[in-house]
Amino acid sequence: MTKKHKRQDDFQKVKLKVGKKKPKADNATDVNFKSRAIHLPEQLKQSNAGPTTHRHLNIKDLLSQLHHYNSNVKQGALVGLRELLSAHPTLVEQHTSAILSEVAALFTDKDGTVRAAVVRLLRFVAQCIPVERVAPFFPLLSAHLTCAMTHISESIQTDALRFLDVLLEHFPGLLSQRHNVLLTSFLELISQRRMGKKDKSAKGGFVQMHTSHSLQVVVQLFWESFLSYFMDGCRLSRFLQAVVEERPLEEGMTNRNALEMWAGEKSTTTPIEVKWEEHGFGKGRIQMFEHSGAMHTPHSTYRLRPDSNLAAGMNKDLNSAETVQGFAETLVPLLLDIWVEAAGGDRVQMDSGHLLSPESMALMFQILTILQLLRRLTPQGDQQDILDAWFRNMYLADFKHHYMKNFPYGLLEVARHKKKVDGKRLHQQAVVGTVAGGNVEPLALNVTLCQVMVTLSLKGCSDVVGQDADWLGPIRAFIKETLSSGSKLSSKHLAALLEVVWRMIVTQRSRVVTDELLQAVYVQYQQRNLGVTVRTLLLSFFSQLYIEEHQNHPHIARSKILASWLASLPVQLVQLGSRNPQLSAHLLETVQSAAARGNKDLLNILQKRACSLYDPQDGCVVVLPVESQKKLVQILYFLPVIPPELLSCLSQVCNTGRVSASLATALMRTIHLRSPLSGWSSGSQDVPVKDVDYLSFFFTTLTGFSSETLQALQHTDEDCLMPSSTLSPISVFATTLDQFLHHWDVVEEVCHCLETLGSRAQCFDVIQTAIIKNLCGLAVVPDCLCTALLRCIPRLLDVNFLPSDTLLHFLSDCCLSMLNLLLQLEQSAHKRDRVWEACFAALSAVPRLLRLVLQSLRVCDLCEEELPHLAQILSLLLQHTQLRNHMMANASLLQHIIQDLTHFYSGETREQWLTDLLYCYSVTLSGPRGNMGMREIY
Amino acid sequence: MSAPMEVVLSADSSGQLWNCAVFDPHSGTNLLSYRGGNTSARSLTVLNGEYILGAQLGKNFINVWEIQRKDQLQQKVVCPGVITCLCASPNGLYVLAGIAEALYLWEVSTGNLLAILSRHYQDLSCICFTDDSSHFVSGGKDNLALVWNLSSVVQLDSPNTPEPRHILSLHSLPITDIHCGLMGPQARVATASLDQTVKVWEISSGQMLLSVLFDVGIMSVTFDPCEYFLFCGGSDGNIFQVSLCTTSLSRDKTFQTDNDGNQVFIGHRNLVTCLSVSMDGTVLLSGSNDETVRMWDVQSKQCIRSITHKGPVTNAAIIPAPANMFVPDSRPSIPLPRFSRHLNPSEQGDATGAGGVCVRPGANTQDLDGTYLEKADELYSLMSAITDKSVFGDGENTKVRVSELEEEVRTLKKINKDLYEFSTQLLTKPN
Repeated sequence: MTKKHKRQDDFQKVKLKVGKKKPKADNATDVNFKSRAIHLPEQLKQSNAGPTTHRHLNIKDLLSQLHHYNSNVKQGALVGLRELLSAHPTLVEQHTSAILSEVAALFTDKDGTVRAAVVRLLRFVAQCIPVERVAPFFPLLSAHLTCAMTHISESIQTDALRFLDVLLEHFPGLLSQRHNVLLTSFLELISQRRMGKKDKSAKGGFVQMHTSHSLQVVVQLFWESFLSYFMDGCRLSRFLQAVVEERPLEEGMTNRNALEMWAGEKSTTTPIEVKWEEHGFGKGRIQMFEHSGAMHTPHSTYRLRPDSNLAAGMNKDLNSAETVQGFAETLVPLLLDIWVEAAGGDRVQMDSGHLLSPESMALMFQILTILQLLRRLTPQGDQQDILDAWFRNMYLADFKHHYMKNFPYGLLEVARHKKKVDGKRLHQQAVVGTVAGGNVEPLALNVTLCQVMVTLSLKGCSDVVGQDADWLGPIRAFIKETLSSGSKLSSKHLAALLEVVWRMIVTQRSRVVTDELLQAVYVQYQQRNLGVTVRTLLLSFFSQLYIEEHQNHPHIARSKILASWLASLPVQLVQLGSRNPQLSAHLLETVQSAAARGNKDLLNILQKRACSLYDPQDGCVVVLPVESQKKLVQILYFLPVIPPELLSCLSQVCNTGRVSASLATALMRTIHLRSPLSGWSSGSQDVPVKDVDYLSFFFTTLTGFSSETLQALQHTDEDCLMPSSTLSPISVFATTLDQFLHHWDVVEEVCHCLETLGSRAQCFDVIQTAIIKNLCGLAVVPDCLCTALLRCIPRLLDVNFLPSDTLLHFLSDCCLSMLNLLLQLEQSAHKRDRVWEACFAALSAVPRLLRLVLQSLRVCDLCEEELPHLAQILSLLLQHTQLRNHMMANASLLQHIIQDLTHFYSGETREQWLTDLLYCYSVTLSGPRGNMGMREIY
Repeated sequence: MSAPMEVVLSADSSGQLWNCAVFDPHSGTNLLSYRGGNTSARSLTVLNGEYILGAQLGKNFINVWEIQRKDQLQQKVVCPGVITCLCASPNGLYVLAGIAEALYLWEVSTGNLLAILSRHYQDLSCICFTDDSSHFVSGGKDNLALVWNLSSVVQLDSPNTPEPRHILSLHSLPITDIHCGLMGPQARVATASLDQTVKVWEISSGQMLLSVLFDVGIMSVTFDPCEYFLFCGGSDGNIFQVSLCTTSLSRDKTFQTDNDGNQVFIGHRNLVTCLSVSMDGTVLLSGSNDETVRMWDVQSKQCIRSITHKGPVTNAAIIPAPANMFVPDSRPSIPLPRFSRHLNPSEQGDATGAGGVCVRPGANTQDLDGTYLEKADELYSLMSAITDKSVFGDGENTKVRVSELEEEVRTLKKINKDLYEFSTQLLTKPN
């Protein structure tokens, strides 16, 4: 069976049957597969035509396809370009010129899809190229843009705005340079559009109006951004043009903006250095001052090189009031119409005019911002006034009617039924919201409205005040309410509000109004926990108001609020301490100018608070930075009276070393000048510093220590104390080097001030009495005090005046102790030099002192170890040539001492010091004999 | 002995020997002395070369001497208050006095009080006129210096009170001295202050040009006539010389002595209250509270001479010697009228004596003259028009003119040639 079966297996007969499918052969090939090419881009890339798109088109192909008649091809090429450039950004740099010119040519393409692709491409390209590389091609771009904007087809015009948008986003500066063409065509464009829309909306229904409205908002936004860019650009080009005129302004631009607004007209400062290189090429105007005419013309427009550049010429005409008027004439009615339409639309929905829906609020905000920008377009000064007057004549009634009717505005809660509006509408709303940068707060709106309206109130015309009352009244009420409601305002809103307040105060010239408004601001100022920026803003508002307008406007000068604000400044300074140095510096600036102007209230308060301001421990004068310290010292000059308590504070301030020596010097000079003793006639009858106080101040400063400290020193047992001995009759308290040097500088100035007093003899008498009374009994004396005394006595001593014995004895003790100290001061050369200088000055100027010193050297009392010290002191004195005469006058005394010295010295060998001494002694005495008449001095 | 070109006029506050005296700057001899009272600081002035005016120290009147009659007061001008500073305009038409915080301006010819300017907040310390009397600068204890235009101050019917042209407000302590350079309204003015700085400003623009910081408060300041140097008298008795020729561009600098002009004159022992430089810029005069007036050689910084006074020196100046100072018989060309004490004499009813008519310019009555630049443009266009015309225009006239000119050139050449030959003959002739 197995065999048979095997054979069958080998050759099996397959039976084929009709109607059945033929089974597949075993060796049949399955062709049921697909093949695909393998891409190896790196290997294939060797074609030298540069990178290509996925369609193997390189940049040349693509650019040439942009001229194709078929719009699909063009669009494809644009898409391809975008793909190519995003894959290879370097291509953009290489082909900037070609890309920009080709793309710009498509601004006016007939097909909408092509234009959309162009926008996308442009947006991409714009972000790749830096501004300075686009600049050469910008004339071309702007030409095409103008072309598109003035195109006959409306859809192209619409898309032109999108191009403009892209360009604005990336090249605002370049755009604003060419504003003259662009701005006019742009203005025409939007006004045409409005006309068209108006007709449509008149015909059309409610929904249509809304679409047009939101479209207008978009247009408005363009406008607004355009104007603001233009503003910046205008400034920018002016900077370049008038480097001389504008440079400081550029630096302080951000900080000064707010103040500039308040102050209105501010003169620019001219740097002295004119850089001729810049003027060689630039169109810069050089400011010159001329005086030959009857009128002075401070601003001449002298240019080093006559100006052939077009851009500069165009810029000039935009700076004049007339040009801005021209713009305003087109623009303002437009804005009014837009608002009327929007407001009308809203009013159909709801009854109350006070409440606005978010989008109409955003619209109004934009309108107001544009108006503001328009006003700021004009140059400062006279022209602004002209423009304001013109605005007032033209549009006051309109503004009043449309904007002020329902002031102040509030936000309407979005009603529920709006939800029913279809998706399209919701979408539009979203667009408006995003474009406007979120919802506008009602506060911001109201504040901006105030700003716009207030500019219409004229300066210095009293006859129109009555007319304006109807619309200024609500504004005033609103400001008052906002400021005094106690809520915290952001610094931006506050700055705007303060600007309004400033303007109203200046224009209205009424004391009641001023006080009302200032009161409101003051309430805001008095709030606790204000942010630093807000606080600074309020502060600079008040100080500017005081400093700048005070003189011109008596109603401001008489304002009680301002006075009480000023009076509160010293207290604030004290309270502030060292917590916020910037704020303190700001406060001090105001205080100083008010003090310089002799503001009585302020000076009284200052007088009262002076002791805490100038406290040596934690007063402002020690805790604030150097600049503020200097200001405080300068303010000191203006105090009407400087009482003894304050003087004692000040003397400690001078000595504690927390103010620098130069500042201490300045402080002492201030006191000196304020005293009638200085001889600088202050011309007034009142005496700020009494003579007694003056002298005690300088004496205390001279000693450097208060009497309490000195008393405390007597009982101290610190290790820096040098015990008294025979050679050092006074025990010396060694001060630190810093303190010693500081005191040295201070003493220098004290001596100088005292020296210049009228009667030297009397002055010395007073000082002598003071020393005898206060210092002579002391057992422990600081070294700086000793040196101070030794320095000042010879300088102040009058030739004909005989100092008292008590003083001289004390001084000789001091001197001896100092000489002894000198020997131990090897380590600090500074201190040693100064100590020696002081001793030497005293000994050479007062011969009796030398004699007393020598007399007090009693060798018999000395112990063995002290003998070398004595010898060193003696040889020191002998070595100095200037002292030699005086030494020789005391020859017998000297001889006696030296004999004793050799007698008492019991050492076996002759030590070096003894040899030195004897040598010095012999040299001195063998020298030319000094006149013995010197003896008569004693 | 011929009369000196320049004299030193000085006064001290004691007034023991004389009120003020005139010295010869070369020999130091006392030439003249004027008696009666004493003079306060910065208030001695010479009016028109004919009168000396000095404000009495601490009193409310001005002593007036005729310049040749030294021993006798001509009159006393009584003022509304104590005078802190006094100045007569260089053209001799106006007298300006600082009384408390107000400036009083008198017209010399009529004695009318033209204006009271009270823009300062505190007492005035000094006044200075520009050399052409078109502007004046006043400095006060309120840290301010104000630049005034004299013509705008004098103007009668402006609705507002006169405003200063510039307010120089960068000092932080009282101003002690002001000095105006030459060149009228284009001058530079230096202000010294107790805040240890001296600042130089431009009158025309009111801009600060330079600020120099010292170690001590500065009590007096002056330029030399060429404005090479600035001299600053310190409150410690030193006089600092600051070179204005250095090329450093910084607006603020700190004084340091060096070899290119920044140096110190050491000698005084007390406040240097007044400084003055002679016409040729070689001699510096300084007066100090140490009761001396010193003369210094600017070049070598040495003290040439010291004139001792009896009290702190209040005024010292080198002035060009007035013509009739040394002519005892001369008379002033115009008598000095009584100075009125009120603004409008007619309203006060005491104008009966004066029969004169007050003529003062109204506001904006003058036509606008062109500025220098405009004039220069005009001139240039005129000139170029002429050349254009002569070169291109007017055929007939030009030809005639050209031939005339050629003729003239020919004659001139001939004359020149003759002259040349004649002189060569003369020179080469052997004798």
